Amino acid sequence: MENGDSKVRIGFYVCHCGTNIAHTVDVASVAKYAAGLPGVVVARDYKYMCSDPGQDLIGEDIREHGLNRIVVAACSPCLHEATFRTATARAGLNPFFCHLVNIREHASWVHTDRAAATEKVQDLVRAACGRVRHHKALERKRVTVRPEVLIVGGGIAGIQAALTIAESGKKVYLVEREPTIGGHMAMFDKTFPTLDCAACILTPKMSQVKAHPNITLWTYSEVMGVEGFVGNFKVKVRRKPRYVNEEVCVGCMECIEACMYKQPKFDDEFNQRLGKRKPVYIPFPQATPKVVLIDPETCLHFKTGKCKQPCIASCSRNAFDFNAEEKIEDVEVGAIIVATGFKPFDPARSPKYGYGHFPNVYTSLEVERLVNASGPTGGEIVMRDGRKPKSVGIVHCVGSRNLQTNRWCSKVCCMYSLKLAHLIKEHAGAEVYNFYIDMRTPGKGYEEFYNQLLEEGVHFVRGKVAEVTDWAMTPEEEGKLVMRVEDTLAGFVRRIPVDMVVLSVGLEPREDSQEVRRMFNISCSSEGFFLERHPKLAPVDTATDGVYLAGACQGPKDIPDSVAQAGAAAAQAMALIDKGYIEMEPNTAFIEEKECSGCKSCIPLCPYTAISFNEATVKAVINEALCKGCGTCVAACPSGSIKQNLFEDVEIFSEIEEVLANA
Amino acid sequence: MAVRVHQTIKYEAEADPTFAPRIKEKRGCEKLEACIQCGTCSGVCPLSIYMDHTPRQVILLTRSGFRDEILKSNTIWLCASCYECTVSCPKDIRITDIIYSLKQEAIQARAYPRRFPIPVLAREFYKMVRDFGRTTESFLVVKLLMKTNILAGLKMWKLGLQLVTSGRFGFTPESIKNRRQLQQILDRVGDDNGKNGGPKK
Repeated sequence: MENGDSKVRIGFYVCHCGTNIAHTVDVASVAKYAAGLPGVVVARDYKYMCSDPGQDLIGEDIREHGLNRIVVAACSPCLHEATFRTATARAGLNPFFCHLVNIREHASWVHTDRAAATEKVQDLVRAACGRVRHHKALERKRVTVRPEVLIVGGGIAGIQAALTIAESGKKVYLVEREPTIGGHMAMFDKTFPTLDCAACILTPKMSQVKAHPNITLWTYSEVMGVEGFVGNFKVKVRRKPRYVNEEVCVGCMECIEACMYKQPKFDDEFNQRLGKRKPVYIPFPQATPKVVLIDPETCLHFKTGKCKQPCIASCSRNAFDFNAEEKIEDVEVGAIIVATGFKPFDPARSPKYGYGHFPNVYTSLEVERLVNASGPTGGEIVMRDGRKPKSVGIVHCVGSRNLQTNRWCSKVCCMYSLKLAHLIKEHAGAEVYNFYIDMRTPGKGYEEFYNQLLEEGVHFVRGKVAEVTDWAMTPEEEGKLVMRVEDTLAGFVRRIPVDMVVLSVGLEPREDSQEVRRMFNISCSSEGFFLERHPKLAPVDTATDGVYLAGACQGPKDIPDSVAQAGAAAAQAMALIDKGYIEMEPNTAFIEEKECSGCKSCIPLCPYTAISFNEATVKAVINEALCKGCGTCVAACPSGSIKQNLFEDVEIFSEIEEVLANA
Repeated sequence: MAVRVHQTIKYEAEADPTFAPRIKEKRGCEKLEACIQCGTCSGVCPLSIYMDHTPRQVILLTRSGFRDEILKSNTIWLCASCYECTVSCPKDIRITDIIYSLKQEAIQARAYPRRFPIPVLAREFYKMVRDFGRTTESFLVVKLLMKTNILAGLKMWKLGLQLVTSGRFGFTPESIKNRRQLQQILDRVGDDNGKNGGPKK
């Protein structure tokens, strides 16, 4: 034993915690009992050990009695371990010579028999005094934190977080998969409840991102891999070729005009395939960066090699580069904000609504494009059959609140359905029916907006639509889509014929959320949205230090919520990088190199990917900065060559021996 | 015509607080209380347009304990067991099974019209299966008609005659081997069912 029994001088303190502990545990007799344990020099009880006089008591005793071990029997280490370690350190003793025994949550709060509880506390105290004599002086390591931040996803959440951090003077890398930033918000027409135009409030922010000297914007790019740990992440980004030099193109769009295809012929993804585009295109007029790109899947040159390439001829700036290849960028960052957003539910999974079967059944996102002035119809609501609808049915909760699809409420659909009802009435003068289960409009100005819609004469039917059919049962239903639904407030079944059906699709995790989760070493909740560290008190942190969440990738969220969360994620990231360093708890695992056989069994078990393999020495290596001290590898190592600070065998076994000594 | 006025108010004393927990205990009825009253069941039901209470209302009334209201309702007897509601329910509530439990409750309480054929059919069907291991439809139909509506039975003589002449009317009861074993099995189940409102031995 490093310190030898004779040299160990333990100070023992038992806390009354007011009456929380003293009511059920005879603290005076515990102190008396501890005084008789080997190595204990001082044993005291005190009303509030965590108070300043309580802490001072420890310091005074260390100085006066030359104590070198401290045991405090009090509340949970979660609450006051740091308090007592700091008090110990203030008196000049290594803080890891201080050990806490939880006799509140583990004894006084869970027992009623005072004598038995006191006896149990004595056992626990004896065990603590047994283990603390083996404690070693440990050091917290400092790791520097790089000042750059990576933001993954250029929707409104990513944009907001990027601008906030960039404004503070820190460098930001913003990586977006699509050719433009803006995300789903850029597709929306107006925003609830104020009905301000989405583009009018979003595009200035997009331009700001592009122009900001502290933001490196990589669109049409994806994060391929992340290595490292908090403060020191190494990130690989793949930049897909646009076949147009981003630095040179100014987005004059002469080339689009010049393309061999005189008419747009290919489905326009940005317009939800309701419109057409050419192989050389720009997703929408305010796309950021305002740069064209070529879709090699449809471009004649790439498909046949026989195109005259009038696009090249039309470009006065010589921006085309048909030989461009993908580029890999390596960056190092201190923090990462994941803002990868959501995916709208595909209503083909609920065939009773006839999406994909009846042409006049639309998703809500398609209707956003239809009512948008820069959309495929110039803002006129014209259906796929060329008619303008005189009556429209909006079905809420499509792919939400349903165990057969997604069980959660998507939170935003009630409000955007109200908005679409308003816009459809305004643009087409149609009769609009909203079919809802429960109207959920909590939020500033949201209920007022619902009231406005009621007064505008929009119809509300409380009931989930059972089916959409074209089978007419009355002359009025001929040529219409009929919605069969129980009007649950009236208590009978109704059939309501309409021209157009809008499905208010819910929000779900993106298809690749599992890969993204693995790449950033974060978790998903059961439904597949990324998991925050704490649902109330750490809503933007993840279980991995230095990785934060913003926007709908964490759960369905509207624009105000996404923006607020992005601000919070930015603040968390800045708090980390502004400090410049992090202190690591020393309860990490370490390898006795000469005993490691290099079997690699620990490597896949580590939940924090902290263990790697050194091919040169044929030994496993633990990265202290990544290790969280969970002990999995320690238990798994077949040769017993992995040990953990504060949990070494001698510490644990002496604790067990002592706790069982009277059994 | 005079306007008829009667009180529609329900007092909590009229509700049976043991009703919902009792139904919930039965097989298939466990998720009774998960209902969010969306009305999908009523919307998809091919017969809800004839019901005095829609299936959704039946779930609501059961959950709230208005036992008499439900047992008086024609809904449980109109249910054709097509299971469309059960298949469509967004909360996985087995509405058809719940309606079966309510039928059992009504049969036990004799809360149905005199000579109402459905409970008679249930009892005769069970008896025949217990005795022979099989049902013989000709015997079953005749028994049912005799116990519920003899007149209607006699009016069907022409159809009966056609069935007899075309050899569709079985005169020998079908049966299985080891009927005793089946009876033992059913008696064991019957004990349980008897408690829960199923057919008595």
